[in-house]
Amino acid sequence: MQRRSFLQRIGLAAAATAATATLTPQSLLAAEAPKGPNTMNIDAALKAITGGKAVTPSKKVHLKAPEIAENGAVVPVTVEVDSPMTPDDYVKAIHIFATKNSNVRCADIMLTPANGAAMFATRIKLGSSQDVLVVAETSTGEFLSAKQSVKVTIGGCG
Amino acid sequence: MAERKSLIKIKPKKFKSGDVVKVNFMVMHPMETGMRKDKKSGKIVPADYITEVKFFFNDTPFTTMQVWESVSTNPVFTINFKVPAAGTLKVVYKTNTGEVQEKSKKLKPKG
Repeated sequence: MQRRSFLQRIGLAAAATAATATLTPQSLLAAEAPKGPNTMNIDAALKAITGGKAVTPSKKVHLKAPEIAENGAVVPVTVEVDSPMTPDDYVKAIHIFATKNSNVRCADIMLTPANGAAMFATRIKLGSSQDVLVVAETSTGEFLSAKQSVKVTIGGCG
Repeated sequence: MAERKSLIKIKPKKFKSGDVVKVNFMVMHPMETGMRKDKKSGKIVPADYITEVKFFFNDTPFTTMQVWESVSTNPVFTINFKVPAAGTLKVVYKTNTGEVQEKSKKLKPKG
């Protein structure tokens, strides 16, 4: 017990000195919640977003991604959702997942009717060959999804 | 912190008010995942990636993005925007290291 309390005290002292040291980005990182490699799997991530609601595959969601990507570090992904984007009926959010990355979440885009059309494009990293999953949340509370498998020749992580 | 290079591009270049245009936002950012090892020293490169991107029009936010480490190096974010009138488009982004930077561009619709 003594040994444990001693170790705890040492740990506290170390933390205190780290906090009082100059605010380098590294110390800022340490002060924050455990960020860095986030290890959420696809089921947990989906649950965190939908709150347990069903996700239905839909033809309204158009996902454009290459079938074969030579370089996994740069995979262009374009998502378009058919929606009138009026204040009554619009796409609230688009979520992009890479199902086999160590952190499956790539980007969550919160849209408003001011966007005029529901579209998002970016480039993502894929660690290995896997499915890219897109979930669109509408203002009526529906979750629509689209999926495409991408073959990766050279991994993009690590 | 030094300012990072960023760029806002509007497509098409000529547009009228009420048109839907494509807004391209590009940043020069390493997007380190915190899992990659430096080849020379063998040490893990600390995580440094963009976590949030916000788009403003005349200081009213219209699109927010939560971004994670699996977005590529030097990311490009493309969204649509319906231009209501002339005004300023501003993009603010944050990183996990606490860096906050912004970039703005004036929109001048013709007609």
